[in-house]
Amino acid sequence: MAVTQTRRRFAAGSNAFLVSVFVVAAICVGYLLVDLHRVRLDLSADQGSVLLEDTRSKLALLDREGKPVVITAFSGQRGKKESYFKDRALEDLLDELDYASQVVEVHFVDFDKDRLTAEKLGVTEYSTVVVQRGEARVDIKDRELFHHTGKGDDRHLDFLGEQAVNRAFAQLMAENKRIVYVLVGHGELDPDNHDLDGLSEVAAVLGQDDYELKRLDLVRQTDSPVPRVPDDASAVAVLRPKVQIPPLEEDLLLAYLSGGGSMLFAVDPGTPVPNLVGRLGVAIPAGRVLDKVLVFPYPDRPVPRYKSHPITKDLADDSLVTVVSDVAPVQAAVPPVEGVRSTTVLETSRDGWIDRGGEVKNGQGRFEPEIDQAGPAQMAIALDVTPDSGLVKKKAARVLVIGDSDVFTNGILAEGPGNASFALNTFRWLVGDEDRISVVGRPTSVRRLALSAEDGEQIRWLALGLGPLLIVVLGAGVWASRRGR
Amino acid sequence: MIEVRGLSKAYGPRLALDDVTFSVAKGEIMGFLGPNGAGKTTTMRILTGFLPASSGVATVAGFDVFEDPYSVRERVGYLPETPPLYPELSVGGYLEFCAELRRIPRAQRAGRVGATMERVGLRGWERRLLGSLSKGYRQRVGLAQAILHDPPVLILDEPTSGLDPAQVAGIRELVLSLAGTHTVILSTHILSEVEALCPRIVMVNRGKLVAQGSLDEVRALAPGGAWTYVEVKGIDGPHLGRMPGVELVEPLATVDGWSAWRVRSAGDPREALAARAAAGDFQLRALERRMPTLEEAFIAIVGREGVAA
Amino acid sequence: MSAVITIWKKELRVYAVNPTAYAFLAVFLFLSGLFFYLGITLTAEASLRVLASNLAIAELFILPMLTMRHFAEERRQGTLEMLLTSPISPFSLVIGKWLASLTLCALMFLGTGILPVILAYYGNPDWGVVTTTYLGLFLAAGAFCAAGLFSSSLLDDQLAAGLIGILLLLPFWLVSRAEALVGDDLAEKLQPFGVLAHLDSFGRGVLDSADIYYFLGMSLAFLFLTYRSLESRRWR
Repeated sequence: MAVTQTRRRFAAGSNAFLVSVFVVAAICVGYLLVDLHRVRLDLSADQGSVLLEDTRSKLALLDREGKPVVITAFSGQRGKKESYFKDRALEDLLDELDYASQVVEVHFVDFDKDRLTAEKLGVTEYSTVVVQRGEARVDIKDRELFHHTGKGDDRHLDFLGEQAVNRAFAQLMAENKRIVYVLVGHGELDPDNHDLDGLSEVAAVLGQDDYELKRLDLVRQTDSPVPRVPDDASAVAVLRPKVQIPPLEEDLLLAYLSGGGSMLFAVDPGTPVPNLVGRLGVAIPAGRVLDKVLVFPYPDRPVPRYKSHPITKDLADDSLVTVVSDVAPVQAAVPPVEGVRSTTVLETSRDGWIDRGGEVKNGQGRFEPEIDQAGPAQMAIALDVTPDSGLVKKKAARVLVIGDSDVFTNGILAEGPGNASFALNTFRWLVGDEDRISVVGRPTSVRRLALSAEDGEQIRWLALGLGPLLIVVLGAGVWASRRGR
Repeated sequence: MIEVRGLSKAYGPRLALDDVTFSVAKGEIMGFLGPNGAGKTTTMRILTGFLPASSGVATVAGFDVFEDPYSVRERVGYLPETPPLYPELSVGGYLEFCAELRRIPRAQRAGRVGATMERVGLRGWERRLLGSLSKGYRQRVGLAQAILHDPPVLILDEPTSGLDPAQVAGIRELVLSLAGTHTVILSTHILSEVEALCPRIVMVNRGKLVAQGSLDEVRALAPGGAWTYVEVKGIDGPHLGRMPGVELVEPLATVDGWSAWRVRSAGDPREALAARAAAGDFQLRALERRMPTLEEAFIAIVGREGVAA
Repeated sequence: MSAVITIWKKELRVYAVNPTAYAFLAVFLFLSGLFFYLGITLTAEASLRVLASNLAIAELFILPMLTMRHFAEERRQGTLEMLLTSPISPFSLVIGKWLASLTLCALMFLGTGILPVILAYYGNPDWGVVTTTYLGLFLAAGAFCAAGLFSSSLLDDQLAAGLIGILLLLPFWLVSRAEALVGDDLAEKLQPFGVLAHLDSFGRGVLDSADIYYFLGMSLAFLFLTYRSLESRRWR
């Protein structure tokens, strides 16, 4: 009897209430636990939602270091058809990054509405992603995030955001900057020069990507007893020397290159060509490159076509123009020097040519078969020098020779929509960071639904009418069968 | 079969049942009487395990309704005050569902449902929807639901309320047919029904047990007990009162010179009265020994209790 | 288990002839058609993503109305007394009713099956994503039905039960849209606890253990509360 009474009281009243509260609380605590150890399984065809193994290992590394990473993504242009997909893709990516890491903090910002944030970060373009870690910062631009492939109805929008963010992480985590030495002392372009013919803008663009441009004076070296290219050089650029480089310095450059170095040579029509260029099997013939096919709004200069190469890939995909001014022809020797593989990077259209004088007015020359050489004319050539060849010992070397130096200058960088990328890609390739250019992993593509007005009408009736109609018919049937029972 | 000891049920501060104790033997039909709100339904709900008691013990077929509610439920058929019907279902479908609910094996279900429908007079009504049934038929379906699994204990809460006399007779017949094999608790406030059906009575009022026993025992609780009905001519009240054995006479009616009296006496006065009539002292045309009706007992008990409280 | 099936079968038979169920079913299908049509015409994408998030909100309003009758009506009809005095446990009763509601939801989703078929006819949907989207909606439906059952067990009046059910669920939606109420910072903290935040991954083809637990846990919590509520009615 007493037992019964106790049990009754236990089962009833406040105890029962407490038990309910306890069970519900336990379920909530369970949620928090599960939330900490999420298991995610991606069943989508693209597998676009689950981060790449590589990204995840980078995030794990970031977590271990514990330094907060702030990712701010800006929305696309409102009203533009693609912005819906772009925003969503970015938001999804941010979600995934947020899930996967403790140190990553994500913000999605409406570029039009939240001007304050945009201005604070100095962001001036839609669909930009800013990745910050302490002082370091990497900006990812729209064209690095989204690629258009295919034409017309088959045109796809691919999202490469994860790859871009992955690269940004790599950059942020890189301990030391990539140092690119720019040779000076022979009237070359100067990275510290802020004038129109200076390189300060390119230096800034590269700086954002953790490349540092440093002046290199091989004659008046202060930090080394013996003149040499410093060991920390990721690449050496020889940008349009006005006088011939002395043999001593040429030898130093060759020594650097044969140790597996990376070099950029830029010349203009009529400027002295370093001997090293010739030894690599590249000739700079006299004349300048011209093209009959002109691209608006550049009436006075040839617009280079992009050949298939890592440097130009994303530029070609996005049809961004790289602007050049006065271009010297660049030609690879036939047959090539042993151990050197050359790839054309920029050239004219079929209607381009190497102009060797005659009538020229405002850069618009005329093709004169008797003196000129028919195109397409190459403007830039990339060279891969294989190891253990005559030129290079253990490590492969990379060289880009371009017939125009202005392409990198402050004056043109602002003018050409593709120039900054071209410069960036050039150094990325030279240094061997092509994974920063090339596509890692599969992009996520948008599954478009191309509907005609007629299709839309059909779908409207099918979607809105069929279901409810079915139910009404079914309901009426049931009602009729039960009538009078 | 049913054992109730010191059962109390409080709804907040209000005591719906106060220390009620009674028992029902196997095979017995027990009439459960009391005015509305006396605690009949509460008691039945406790017995079926629908409500717990605040204190006290109730066992059905040897199982404590609190400790072992499922054993109790398996052995009880219960017809609540309003038959528990789903208006959307057909009679057959509903009983099929009840059979499943009562765990009647699949193979026996159809047979059991058919037999039960036959028994409560629902043959041929399988396809009718419960929502369209009249009160009487709803009651039958409710009853069918209660007896479907052939439970040893049946608890029927006012099974005949709102039925017409023919239907009432049908239900009574059915309940009588259950006597002996089933233990039945039948609550009602129709006293004639109890008199017709129940050899045993438990009466509650305001949550308290006020009377229990056989029909006669309860009837005898009416004040005065048994009395004699006479119709006489040629004698007045005072003279009648002085007849041998007669203690008290009350006039009932007078028609055509014949007057009817209620005669109360210590013993049975009929023989003496007949002898005097035969001797020519007065004319006598009716002489009948009568028990008090249950109604009288009911009003007397409930009224008395009511006044006392 | 057999008791659960018994209850489940009965509930389906009752649903099958319940005009309210048909009305809500038709409304649900119409809304899903509408969201679908608007979604694909606005985004021109072969996906159910726009549909899914809107449909989840529609579920939030419709499912409590579908489950509101369960206990409220049983009590009014007096059938609850029969069920609770029959040899089945209240838990089987709750589960049976929940499963019956879920079955109805499954039929509802089956009715929207025409929509992915339309997508497949005119475009090339990602079937993995379609599957997970439906799974997410179904899990959400389970949680919402459980909440509806709970409110139905609390109240005697059907309609009140339906409305309280919606009120119970509203916070789970509103935390996703709480900027205006509590400010941006708090809203951002609350958002992960909302229904929409947990449907997001499903809409992208990702099954996330936390999302699945969220809905199953919510179902479980409400089912348990329903069970307690039924019990407590008896203990009072």
